[in-house]
Amino acid sequence: MRVRRCADLLVRRVCRSFPRLIVLVGVLAGASGQAGEAEAWRMRFSEEIQPMLTQKCLDCHSADYASGEFDLSKFMRPERLIETIDVWERVARRVRNGEMPPTGSEALTDDERAAMLKWVDNAPRDEDCRQLASDESMRWYRGHVMSRRLTRFEYDHAIRDLIGVDFGLAATLPSDGAGGEGFDTTGDSLFLSAIHIERYLAAADRIAGSLLPKDAEPTSRDLMLARQRLLAPGEDRESEQAAAEAIFLDLASRAFRREIDTDERERWMQWYHDARQRGDDHLAALRSLVTAVLVSPHFLFLVEVEPDEEGVRALTGHELATRIALLIWSSLPDQALRDRAEDGSLLEPGVARSEVRRMLADPRSRALGERFAIQWLDLGSLGSGRRPDAERFPEFDADLAEAMQDEVIEFVVSVFRDDASLLSLLDSDETFVNARLAEHYGLAGEFDDRFRRVSLDGSPRGGLTTMAAVLTNTSFPHRTSPVLRGGWLLERILGERVPPPPADVPELEEEGQALVARSLRERLEQHRQRADCATCHDRIDPLGFGLENFDAIGRWRTDDGGVAIDASGRLPSGEVFDGPEELKQILLSRRDQFVQHLIRKMLGYALGRPLNRFDQCVIDDTLKALRRQDYRASLLIEEIVVSYPFQHRFIKK
Amino acid sequence: MAHNRQPSSISRRTFLRGTGVTLGLPWLDSMAGGLRASTGPEPQPPCRLACLFFPNGVWEKDWIPQQTGREFDMPFALEPLADLRDDLLILSGLDKAHSRQGDGHYAKTANFLTGMPVKKTTGRNISSGGISLDQLVAQHVGHQTPLPSLELGTEPVISGVDSNVGYTRLYGSHISWQSPTRPVAKEINPRMVYERLFGAGDGSAAVGGQHQHLLDFVLEDAHRLRKQLGRDDQFKFDEYLDSVRAVERRIEFHQNRGPDQWDPQASGLPEAPAPGLPDDFREHVRLMLELIVLAFRTDATRVSTMMFANDVSGRNFAFVDGVSGSHHELSHHENNPDRISQYTRIVRWHVQQFAEMLRQMKSIPEGDGSLLDHSMILFGCGMSDGNRHDPNNLPIIVAGRAGGTIRTGRHVSSPRNTPLCNLYVSMAHRMGVDIDQFGDSTGELTEVDAG
Repeated sequence: MRVRRCADLLVRRVCRSFPRLIVLVGVLAGASGQAGEAEAWRMRFSEEIQPMLTQKCLDCHSADYASGEFDLSKFMRPERLIETIDVWERVARRVRNGEMPPTGSEALTDDERAAMLKWVDNAPRDEDCRQLASDESMRWYRGHVMSRRLTRFEYDHAIRDLIGVDFGLAATLPSDGAGGEGFDTTGDSLFLSAIHIERYLAAADRIAGSLLPKDAEPTSRDLMLARQRLLAPGEDRESEQAAAEAIFLDLASRAFRREIDTDERERWMQWYHDARQRGDDHLAALRSLVTAVLVSPHFLFLVEVEPDEEGVRALTGHELATRIALLIWSSLPDQALRDRAEDGSLLEPGVARSEVRRMLADPRSRALGERFAIQWLDLGSLGSGRRPDAERFPEFDADLAEAMQDEVIEFVVSVFRDDASLLSLLDSDETFVNARLAEHYGLAGEFDDRFRRVSLDGSPRGGLTTMAAVLTNTSFPHRTSPVLRGGWLLERILGERVPPPPADVPELEEEGQALVARSLRERLEQHRQRADCATCHDRIDPLGFGLENFDAIGRWRTDDGGVAIDASGRLPSGEVFDGPEELKQILLSRRDQFVQHLIRKMLGYALGRPLNRFDQCVIDDTLKALRRQDYRASLLIEEIVVSYPFQHRFIKK
Repeated sequence: MAHNRQPSSISRRTFLRGTGVTLGLPWLDSMAGGLRASTGPEPQPPCRLACLFFPNGVWEKDWIPQQTGREFDMPFALEPLADLRDDLLILSGLDKAHSRQGDGHYAKTANFLTGMPVKKTTGRNISSGGISLDQLVAQHVGHQTPLPSLELGTEPVISGVDSNVGYTRLYGSHISWQSPTRPVAKEINPRMVYERLFGAGDGSAAVGGQHQHLLDFVLEDAHRLRKQLGRDDQFKFDEYLDSVRAVERRIEFHQNRGPDQWDPQASGLPEAPAPGLPDDFREHVRLMLELIVLAFRTDATRVSTMMFANDVSGRNFAFVDGVSGSHHELSHHENNPDRISQYTRIVRWHVQQFAEMLRQMKSIPEGDGSLLDHSMILFGCGMSDGNRHDPNNLPIIVAGRAGGTIRTGRHVSSPRNTPLCNLYVSMAHRMGVDIDQFGDSTGELTEVDAG
């Protein structure tokens, strides 16, 4: 009886949204075995979990007094438990880490705690993925990816790879904001103003003019080569018109990332013809063609056309190639990838996977560090805005800021290029430095301007959390901030939510310029004695203190103003540590939480939209695959590239 | 006839005296026409509007004068404006009711000039609730100048989303909104602003006329493409179509005027700023404000916005005497006297830059007065006390007389719950925009009126 009712509910909900989808009934009937399991899981909630929550959690987490704006009672309807499983996982994480219920509230007994965690771990996730991630049901899946313009970096890289010359155009465009999971690849947050068109036009003019100057040769060897590449398809043609056509077809198919159909070709050739009629010579008309390709929406926009029927369609080979190239290179597909798209083989998962590995090994994969890692770790504003005080830290300048950022980029990219374990992002005995950064870190050896791999044997550094870029960006201008650092670790590494402080809670008193480390710790501890502060700061501050051996620009120190550094901490879970090495071990013991967060961020970056609960299936599958294969970095990208949402377009009308 | 670069009459020379510049100014053209015809009254210079935003609020006790009316003592933070008090209207008691909900910063900044609710979102359906005052005005008067409006700042858009409060950070980086769902990109590079206004100095205008055919062709292609897109995508794609059309209008503007009428190259413009972003923040702000004055003086545009910094800016202000910390952190002063003193000095520094800009505008003669007399420069923030993120009793100053229609030299305190948007209605009227209502306005702010 209960099974039937549950299935009915789901069907009714689906059918209410999409009356035509009666076909789903069949899908669900076939899944009744799993439905039985799911029902047992729901019953366990009603019988065991709900009473416990009501007794020990709802005093705070209810509509009347929603602590941390989190009203748990909203998520307790049995038929909606699966839909809101991400909420319950968050709850379980806080319970597991001993953060909830907070000190001062009635604790869960060991049995209650175990029951809660077991219940969440046993959530019938598979049922959810199997039933809902089908083509039919995906119609009401809000997995729609917006057609969007290229980001300014994608635009810059695309021009570089299309023409063969790096014109450095990113800086000419206004900066892009971010949305979704926090990345600029999100269509919803990419806007286009008149100023963009002005800049696209100016750049296109400049490029066409420098490749095909009037009555002259290009002014450099690079430009000369680029010109040859551009004109090569037109050589030995019977007429200028035929040459123009060949040049256009070659350029446009690369720029538009697809084949050019006959209609389109005729329109563009008509336009070339008109230009000639108006008195342009061949070269001038070619210049116009090149300029027009570079400001065409087919180039500037990531376009995936939609048929009239709503539903789901698989991407074409060329569309898939474009998504892959943007993900790994922030640029256009190259010839090899286009060939796989052209013959359709890219649609086979095995081919797609080997393309991913090939592309990660290519230097263009640096974009993953520049665009993904920097946004994921929130290091984009390093050195601008909040920066170390110039008098207190005269060593800090634009060169050092750039070197710090480059270390993160080189390091993250190396993990992918070497196909190393993703866990080495947390702890590694190697990093990348140039002379400036080596000096900053006090590393011995011969260095120059270029970054090179160095061993960190015997050094307290290793992994992202001890890199100067991170440590600097999470400090105040005059001193370190264990609170900012702890918050950063929780949010960026472990994927936890860190609510902002309420507006009326006093922050730390600042005493003049220099703060003594011991007093800083004492004052933070005092702060945490207030129960309303403790709930958050008990889990934030200790993590940050683990990094106190690094000053506000990331240099190693053992004392601060004569007072010895105390880098020990105790987490709400009861785990204790002393110093960055032991802190990293604790992070590594939460490896699945870290890896899951990293997968989530990479998937959000790849799809360019906020994730939803169905995407959790991809995250789970990817995590399982990574666990099986030593967290091999390239597997993260492979799994995303062959995943359902990455390979399909969802069409809503 | 069209060449009026040679000042030939006393009154025209008067306008240009002291500026070192002789441009074919669009509004001067029409005025010259009037003079040639010797009929009707002498045309008045047009009214200009700039809206300047600074982040993180103010310490109200150092901002709001104790007395209202003409006789008021300058509070500490406003002291740099002492010599300009007759050109100012200090407004207190204005609220932004729709910012009483939402988070502390994003819901207060994006709607500084819209007055409407900012949608809580990390991406989907981004909205500032309405069009911003500057863009509304630009839609009405923008066709009269080469650029409809000029949006400036000093910092790139804040990247990322704030998942803890549930807002995309780009809200903290935009005060100009072309529509509720479309922020206008701002330019932070002084050299690029200069080139946008006056060309790259190689004889080319910022946008050349040879592009007309090209843009027509591209636009036609774009229309064809639009039909193949999904509904949401079409909406997004319209940004491309609208922007191409905007650039086409600029080209037409130049062509209709003829190159000899708008040719700043031939005249003594100040030198272009150095390429790249200035290292020094003070220099950066100074350049941006000067560019607004230059754009107004040459009538390249009549509408501008400027963000001194993005909201929640953590910029280190140790370069100000008595300050040793960063802006946002100090704005959470916790009522600690030392922190308040630093906070208010940061605000005072912003006021100083504003004052410098006003002095410049005042020194440029125009019509029967100065450039400032024919302008309205709004200066303020989307919250009052930064410690509490208070969206009431906002710090707002309007400088300039808008062609003699604003009675300056006063502190006007409005009754509780007076919408800031009432002021915006009054300002829009002075820019020739005939509206009854804007944002959450309940009427005009008649207190600003002259006589």
